[in-house]
Amino acid sequence: MDELELLKKDWKKEDANFPKVSYNEIYKMILKKSSSIVKWIFVISLLEFVFWTLIAFTFKDSKGMKDFNELDTNYIMIPLTIIGYAVLAYFFYLFFKNYRTISATDNAKVLMENILKTRRTVKNYVAFNLIFLVIGSVAGLYIQFDQNPQIVSMAHKAAADGNLFVFYARIILITSVFLVGAIAILLFFYWLIYGILLKRLNRNYKELKKLEV
Amino acid sequence: MDKELEHSFVEQLEQHQNIVHKVCRLYTNNQEAHNDLFQEITIQLWKAFPKFRGDSKFSTWMYRVGLNTAITLYRKSKRRINTSEIETVQFKLKAEPYDDTEEQQLKLLYQAVHQLNDIEKALVFLYLEDKDYREISETLGISEVNARVKMNRVKTKLKTILNP
Repeated sequence: MDELELLKKDWKKEDANFPKVSYNEIYKMILKKSSSIVKWIFVISLLEFVFWTLIAFTFKDSKGMKDFNELDTNYIMIPLTIIGYAVLAYFFYLFFKNYRTISATDNAKVLMENILKTRRTVKNYVAFNLIFLVIGSVAGLYIQFDQNPQIVSMAHKAAADGNLFVFYARIILITSVFLVGAIAILLFFYWLIYGILLKRLNRNYKELKKLEV
Repeated sequence: MDKELEHSFVEQLEQHQNIVHKVCRLYTNNQEAHNDLFQEITIQLWKAFPKFRGDSKFSTWMYRVGLNTAITLYRKSKRRINTSEIETVQFKLKAEPYDDTEEQQLKLLYQAVHQLNDIEKALVFLYLEDKDYREISETLGISEVNARVKMNRVKTKLKTILNP
């Protein structure tokens, strides 16, 4: 006999073996909180939005930033700030829109796609922030080279000694190392958190996609 | 109104709870994990209940939410078969070549099904529940032809696990 037919025969008898969960027990269950991955993605995503907003505020009030703001920076900083908030609002809207479309009553594939879409929105927001960080650093560096009296005088001294190239190269190199390090740490955390959280979903989604080929 | 909704939901779930038990039976391998998944499926069913319009049967709707929870939403790794358990199963398969007694065969079959991946288990589950390929394809979001092809592959895979 076909293995599954044998199993099916037994499967129907299984009903009697299950423990009976009472009305009250079910009632208590529906009052409990879910621990689904959707909830986790939602919480982590909100934390990411908060994290990047906090970073922006922390930098804004730091001493380095205050010194920096005494230079003529408005022509760069105002557009960057406006873009930053506009993009935050846009991603926030997208995120909630996607989140609301996640429904356990969709078919398995659509459900997985909607979760991945929600996750991708936040991923794009993070990518935007990382690019923004690089652009901001380049702009900041340019302003410092151009206007910071201390750096300008150091550059003049280096030029007099014939070391101007080494001087610029050193500053750019240090900034780059710092940026790459910060980005690597952040990416590592994302990889870790989402890797664990979405491992099964990705595996099952691939399995379903594979069936279509 | 809310109380009425709660009452109607709990009553129907109590009546059809075996569907949830059966999903747990395939996707978990101990009582604690079974109860944990049962609870999460109940929560997901309750969350989705306001959208349940009754255009399909309550039980049909439960299959979808139950499987979605087991395959996609549920997030506890302890329920998964750990490697030592798989090793024991394989060891047993080698040590006890196909036994003719039905009980022994069933035991091995259940162990074999537990070795399938999540999607394959879903196919087996719907098959065991007498669902036709149209419903299987609609629940998983794949075409009917692909559901058939995959089901045949699962049968072959089970045979290979049972007769290595």
